[in-house]
Amino acid sequence: MSESLEKLQNRILSDAKHQAEETIKEAQTKAQQILEEARQRAQKESEEIIARANVDAEAIRRSILSSKVRVNRLRILDEKNQIVQDIIHTVEDQLSSIAKSEQFEDTAQRFVTQAVKAVDADQPVVRIGFRDVSKKNLDGISRVLPKGGKLVIDEKPIDDLGGVVATDPEGRVVFNNTFKSRLERLDNQLLTLISSTVFGE
Amino acid sequence: MSGIDAVKKIVETEAQARRIVDEASARAQHIISEAREQAERMRQEATTRAQQRREEILREAKEKADAEARQSDVETEQILDTYRKLSEERKAAAVSKAVELILNA
Repeated sequence: MSESLEKLQNRILSDAKHQAEETIKEAQTKAQQILEEARQRAQKESEEIIARANVDAEAIRRSILSSKVRVNRLRILDEKNQIVQDIIHTVEDQLSSIAKSEQFEDTAQRFVTQAVKAVDADQPVVRIGFRDVSKKNLDGISRVLPKGGKLVIDEKPIDDLGGVVATDPEGRVVFNNTFKSRLERLDNQLLTLISSTVFGE
Repeated sequence: MSGIDAVKKIVETEAQARRIVDEASARAQHIISEAREQAERMRQEATTRAQQRREEILREAKEKADAEARQSDVETEQILDTYRKLSEERKAAAVSKAVELILNA
Protein backbone atom coordinates (compact mmCIF):
# COMPACT_ATOMS: atom_id res chain seq x y z
CA MET A 1 0.00 0.00 0.00
CA SER A 2 2.71 2.46 1.04
CA GLU A 3 4.84 1.62 -1.98
CA SER A 4 2.07 2.12 -4.47
CA LEU A 5 1.10 5.42 -2.80
CA GLU A 6 4.65 6.68 -3.21
CA LYS A 7 4.59 5.67 -6.84
CA LEU A 8 1.34 7.53 -7.31
CA GLN A 9 2.77 10.63 -5.64
CA ASN A 10 5.85 10.45 -7.80
CA ARG A 11 3.72 10.08 -10.89
CA ILE A 12 1.61 13.10 -9.96
CA LEU A 13 4.71 15.22 -9.36
CA SER A 14 6.42 13.91 -12.47
CA ASP A 15 3.38 14.79 -14.62
CA ALA A 16 3.25 18.25 -13.07
CA LYS A 17 6.96 18.83 -13.73
CA HIS A 18 6.59 17.59 -17.28
CA GLN A 19 3.63 19.95 -17.80
CA ALA A 20 5.61 22.80 -16.27
CA GLU A 21 8.58 22.13 -18.56
CA GLU A 22 6.28 22.04 -21.59
CA THR A 23 4.69 25.35 -20.53
CA ILE A 24 8.11 26.99 -20.14
CA LYS A 25 9.32 25.55 -23.45
CA GLU A 26 6.23 26.86 -25.25
CA ALA A 27 6.72 30.27 -23.66
CA GLN A 28 10.36 30.32 -24.75
CA THR A 29 9.40 29.36 -28.30
CA LYS A 30 6.75 32.07 -28.36
CA ALA A 31 9.25 34.59 -26.95
CA GLN A 32 11.71 33.73 -29.72
CA GLN A 33 8.92 34.18 -32.24
CA ILE A 34 7.98 37.58 -30.76
CA LEU A 35 11.61 38.72 -30.92
CA GLU A 36 12.09 37.45 -34.46
CA GLU A 37 8.91 39.19 -35.65
CA ALA A 38 9.97 42.37 -33.87
CA ARG A 39 13.41 42.17 -35.50
CA GLN A 40 11.85 41.78 -38.93
CA ARG A 41 9.31 44.58 -38.34
CA ALA A 42 12.05 46.89 -37.03
CA GLN A 43 14.21 46.17 -40.06
CA LYS A 44 11.28 46.81 -42.42
CA GLU A 45 10.40 50.10 -40.68
CA SER A 46 14.04 51.19 -40.74
CA GLU A 47 14.31 50.41 -44.42
CA GLU A 48 11.12 52.39 -45.08
CA ILE A 49 12.48 55.39 -43.12
CA ILE A 50 15.76 55.28 -45.05
CA ALA A 51 13.99 54.87 -48.40
CA ARG A 52 11.79 57.91 -47.61
CA ALA A 53 14.89 59.82 -46.50
CA ASN A 54 16.57 59.12 -49.84
CA VAL A 55 13.51 60.36 -51.73
CA ASP A 56 13.30 63.49 -49.52
CA ALA A 57 17.04 64.09 -49.92
CA GLU A 58 16.72 64.00 -53.69
CA ALA A 59 13.79 66.42 -53.49
CA ILE A 60 15.83 68.81 -51.29
CA ARG A 61 18.78 68.58 -53.69
CA ARG A 62 16.59 69.22 -56.73
CA SER A 63 14.84 72.13 -55.02
CA ILE A 64 18.12 73.84 -54.05
CA LEU A 65 19.72 73.25 -57.43
CA SER A 66 16.73 74.13 -59.61
CA SER A 67 16.26 77.36 -57.69
CA LYS A 68 19.95 78.22 -58.11
CA VAL A 69 19.99 77.24 -61.78
CA ARG A 70 16.90 79.41 -62.38
CA VAL A 71 18.51 82.41 -60.68
CA ASN A 72 21.75 81.95 -62.62
CA ARG A 73 19.95 81.52 -65.94
CA LEU A 74 18.15 84.79 -65.24
CA ARG A 75 21.48 86.48 -64.42
CA ILE A 76 22.91 85.28 -67.73
CA LEU A 77 19.81 86.36 -69.66
CA ASP A 78 19.86 89.74 -67.92
CA GLU A 79 23.54 90.24 -68.77
CA LYS A 80 22.95 89.30 -72.40
CA ASN A 81 19.94 91.59 -72.55
CA GLN A 82 21.98 94.48 -71.13
CA ILE A 83 24.71 93.87 -73.70
CA VAL A 84 22.19 93.76 -76.55
CA GLN A 85 20.39 96.86 -75.29
CA ASP A 86 23.71 98.70 -75.02
CA ILE A 87 24.48 97.81 -78.64
CA ILE A 88 21.00 98.89 -79.77
CA HIS A 89 21.46 102.25 -78.02
CA THR A 90 24.76 102.70 -79.82
CA VAL A 91 23.07 101.75 -83.10
CA GLU A 92 20.35 104.35 -82.40
CA ASP A 93 23.02 106.97 -81.69
CA GLN A 94 24.78 106.20 -84.98
CA LEU A 95 21.52 106.19 -86.92
CA SER A 96 20.39 109.48 -85.42
CA SER A 97 23.64 111.13 -86.51
CA ILE A 98 23.63 109.65 -90.01
CA ALA A 99 23.26 113.09 -91.59
CA LYS A 100 26.97 113.60 -90.91
CA SER A 101 27.93 110.45 -92.80
CA GLU A 102 28.62 109.88 -96.47
CA GLN A 103 25.85 107.33 -96.58
CA PHE A 104 23.18 109.88 -95.78
CA GLU A 105 22.09 110.98 -99.23
CA ASP A 106 21.78 107.43 -100.61
CA THR A 107 20.00 106.31 -97.48
CA ALA A 108 17.52 109.19 -97.49
CA GLN A 109 16.77 108.65 -101.17
CA ARG A 110 16.25 104.93 -100.61
CA PHE A 111 13.95 105.55 -97.63
CA VAL A 112 11.89 108.02 -99.66
CA THR A 113 11.68 105.63 -102.63
CA GLN A 114 10.51 102.77 -100.38
CA ALA A 115 7.93 104.94 -98.62
CA VAL A 116 6.56 106.40 -101.85
CA LYS A 117 6.29 102.94 -103.35
CA ALA A 118 4.50 101.63 -100.25
CA VAL A 119 1.94 104.46 -100.27
CA ASP A 120 1.40 104.04 -104.00
CA ALA A 121 -0.28 107.44 -104.51
CA ASP A 122 -0.03 109.78 -107.52
CA GLN A 123 0.78 112.82 -105.40
CA PRO A 124 2.41 111.52 -102.27
CA VAL A 125 3.35 113.80 -99.43
CA VAL A 126 6.78 112.93 -98.06
CA ARG A 127 7.85 114.28 -94.71
CA ILE A 128 11.52 114.00 -93.93
CA GLY A 129 13.35 114.87 -90.73
CA PHE A 130 16.83 113.95 -89.56
CA ARG A 131 19.06 115.45 -86.93
CA ASP A 132 21.60 118.02 -88.13
CA VAL A 133 20.41 117.79 -91.73
CA SER A 134 20.78 120.75 -94.08
CA LYS A 135 18.68 121.48 -97.14
CA LYS A 136 21.77 120.90 -99.20
CA ASN A 137 21.89 117.34 -97.98
CA LEU A 138 18.38 116.84 -99.31
CA ASP A 139 18.92 118.15 -102.82
CA GLY A 140 18.89 114.64 -104.29
CA ILE A 141 15.56 113.75 -102.69
CA SER A 142 13.51 115.71 -105.21
CA ARG A 143 14.94 113.49 -107.93
CA VAL A 144 13.31 110.37 -106.47
CA LEU A 145 9.95 112.06 -105.78
CA PRO A 146 7.30 111.38 -108.41
CA LYS A 147 5.90 114.28 -110.34
CA GLY A 148 3.32 116.06 -108.21
CA GLY A 149 4.83 114.71 -105.02
CA LYS A 150 5.33 117.10 -102.13
CA LEU A 151 8.36 117.17 -99.86
CA VAL A 152 8.05 118.51 -96.31
CA ILE A 153 11.27 118.98 -94.39
CA ASP A 154 11.01 118.80 -90.60
CA GLU A 155 13.57 120.69 -88.62
CA LYS A 156 13.52 118.05 -85.93
CA PRO A 157 14.21 114.35 -86.39
CA ILE A 158 10.95 112.43 -86.84
CA ASP A 159 10.30 109.87 -84.04
CA ASP A 160 13.43 111.13 -82.22
CA LEU A 161 15.91 109.21 -84.40
CA GLY A 162 14.89 110.63 -87.78
CA GLY A 163 13.49 109.20 -90.97
CA VAL A 164 10.81 109.52 -93.58
CA VAL A 165 7.00 109.34 -93.47
CA ALA A 166 5.00 109.19 -96.69
CA THR A 167 1.24 109.60 -97.02
CA ASP A 168 -1.29 109.95 -99.80
CA PRO A 169 -2.62 113.53 -100.22
CA GLU A 170 -5.59 112.81 -97.94
CA GLY A 171 -3.40 111.31 -95.25
CA ARG A 172 -5.36 108.03 -95.30
CA VAL A 173 -2.47 105.82 -96.26
CA VAL A 174 0.65 106.28 -94.20
CA PHE A 175 3.98 104.52 -94.46
CA ASN A 176 6.36 105.19 -91.63
CA ASN A 177 9.95 104.70 -92.71
CA THR A 178 11.67 106.28 -89.74
CA PHE A 179 14.61 104.62 -88.06
CA LYS A 180 12.42 103.83 -85.08
CA SER A 181 9.86 102.06 -87.30
CA ARG A 182 12.56 100.18 -89.14
CA LEU A 183 14.09 99.10 -85.84
CA GLU A 184 10.68 97.82 -84.75
CA ARG A 185 9.99 96.06 -88.06
CA LEU A 186 13.41 94.42 -88.08
CA ASP A 187 13.44 93.68 -84.37
CA ASN A 188 13.77 89.88 -84.65
CA GLN A 189 16.44 90.02 -87.35
CA LEU A 190 18.28 92.66 -85.39
CA LEU A 191 18.37 90.65 -82.18
CA THR A 192 19.46 87.52 -84.05
CA LEU A 193 22.19 89.45 -85.85
CA ILE A 194 23.52 91.05 -82.66
CA SER A 195 23.39 87.76 -80.71
CA SER A 196 25.13 85.80 -83.43
CA THR A 197 27.82 88.46 -83.80
CA VAL A 198 28.52 88.92 -80.10
CA PHE A 199 27.72 85.53 -78.58
CA GLY A 200 28.16 83.33 -81.65
CA GLU A 201 24.62 81.98 -81.27
CA MET B 1 -1.00 3.84 6.94
CA SER B 2 -4.72 4.27 7.09
CA GLY B 3 -6.87 5.03 4.03
CA ILE B 4 -7.52 8.54 5.29
CA ASP B 5 -3.80 9.24 5.60
CA ALA B 6 -3.25 7.97 2.12
CA VAL B 7 -5.95 10.29 0.74
CA LYS B 8 -4.39 13.19 2.65
CA LYS B 9 -1.00 12.40 1.13
CA ILE B 10 -2.52 12.35 -2.35
CA VAL B 11 -4.31 15.66 -1.78
CA GLU B 12 -1.04 17.24 -0.58
CA THR B 13 0.86 15.86 -3.52
CA GLU B 14 -1.74 17.20 -5.95
CA ALA B 15 -1.54 20.62 -4.30
CA GLN B 16 2.23 20.52 -4.71
CA ALA B 17 1.78 19.50 -8.36
CA ARG B 18 -0.63 22.42 -8.92
CA ARG B 19 1.91 24.81 -7.43
CA ILE B 20 4.57 23.48 -9.78
CA VAL B 21 2.26 23.98 -12.77
CA ASP B 22 1.09 27.41 -11.56
CA GLU B 23 4.67 28.57 -11.00
CA ALA B 24 5.60 27.40 -14.47
CA SER B 25 2.62 29.22 -15.91
CA ALA B 26 3.60 32.44 -14.11
CA ARG B 27 7.19 32.05 -15.31
CA ALA B 28 5.95 31.49 -18.86
CA GLN B 29 3.90 34.69 -18.67
CA HIS B 30 6.98 36.49 -17.41
CA ILE B 31 9.11 35.13 -20.29
CA ILE B 32 6.57 36.30 -22.85
CA SER B 33 6.11 39.64 -21.17
CA GLU B 34 9.89 40.19 -21.13
CA ALA B 35 10.09 39.18 -24.78
CA ARG B 36 7.42 41.76 -25.67
CA GLU B 37 9.29 44.47 -23.77
CA GLN B 38 12.55 43.50 -25.43
CA ALA B 39 10.82 43.52 -28.83
CA GLU B 40 9.48 47.02 -28.23
CA ARG B 41 12.92 48.23 -27.12
CA MET B 42 14.46 46.65 -30.20
CA ARG B 43 11.90 48.40 -32.42
CA GLN B 44 12.44 51.75 -30.69
CA GLU B 45 16.23 51.48 -31.02
CA ALA B 46 15.99 50.53 -34.69
CA THR B 47 13.60 53.43 -35.38
CA THR B 48 15.86 55.87 -33.53
CA ARG B 49 18.90 54.69 -35.50
CA ALA B 50 16.95 54.98 -38.75
CA GLN B 51 15.78 58.51 -37.85
CA GLN B 52 19.36 59.52 -37.08
CA ARG B 53 20.48 58.08 -40.40
CA ARG B 54 17.62 59.98 -42.08
CA GLU B 55 18.84 63.27 -40.59
CA GLU B 56 22.34 62.43 -41.76
CA ILE B 57 21.13 61.64 -45.30
CA LEU B 58 19.17 64.91 -45.48
CA ARG B 59 22.08 66.95 -44.12
CA GLU B 60 24.51 65.36 -46.59
CA ALA B 61 22.08 65.99 -49.47
CA LYS B 62 21.74 69.65 -48.49
CA GLU B 63 25.51 70.08 -48.16
CA LYS B 64 26.07 68.42 -51.51
CA ALA B 65 23.39 70.56 -53.18
CA ASP B 66 24.83 73.73 -51.59
CA ALA B 67 28.27 72.79 -52.94
CA GLU B 68 26.80 72.20 -56.41
CA ALA B 69 24.94 75.52 -56.14
CA ARG B 70 28.22 77.29 -55.32
CA GLN B 71 29.82 75.59 -58.32
CA SER B 72 26.90 76.81 -60.46
CA ASP B 73 27.61 80.37 -59.20
CA VAL B 74 31.26 80.02 -60.15
CA GLU B 75 30.38 78.73 -63.62
CA THR B 76 27.82 81.51 -64.07
CA GLU B 77 30.41 84.14 -63.15
CA GLN B 78 32.75 82.62 -65.75
CA ILE B 79 30.01 82.77 -68.39
CA LEU B 80 29.22 86.39 -67.48
CA ASP B 81 32.91 87.30 -67.73
CA THR B 82 33.10 85.62 -71.11
CA TYR B 83 30.05 87.54 -72.35
CA ARG B 84 31.51 90.84 -71.11
CA LYS B 85 34.78 90.14 -72.90
CA LEU B 86 32.97 89.10 -76.08
CA SER B 87 30.87 92.23 -75.87
CA GLU B 88 33.98 94.42 -75.64
CA GLU B 89 35.66 92.62 -78.52
CA ARG B 90 32.66 92.37 -80.84
CA LYS B 91 30.50 95.35 -80.00
CA ALA B 92 31.85 97.49 -82.85
CA ALA B 93 31.22 94.72 -85.39
CA ALA B 94 27.71 94.11 -84.05
CA VAL B 95 26.87 97.82 -84.19
CA SER B 96 28.21 98.08 -87.71
CA LYS B 97 26.18 95.07 -88.93
CA ALA B 98 23.05 96.29 -87.16
CA VAL B 99 23.35 99.77 -88.69
CA GLU B 100 23.82 98.19 -92.11
CA LEU B 101 20.72 96.06 -91.59
CA ILE B 102 18.56 99.03 -90.59
CA LEU B 103 19.86 101.19 -93.44
CA ASN B 104 19.71 98.62 -96.21
CA ALA B 105 16.91 96.19 -95.41
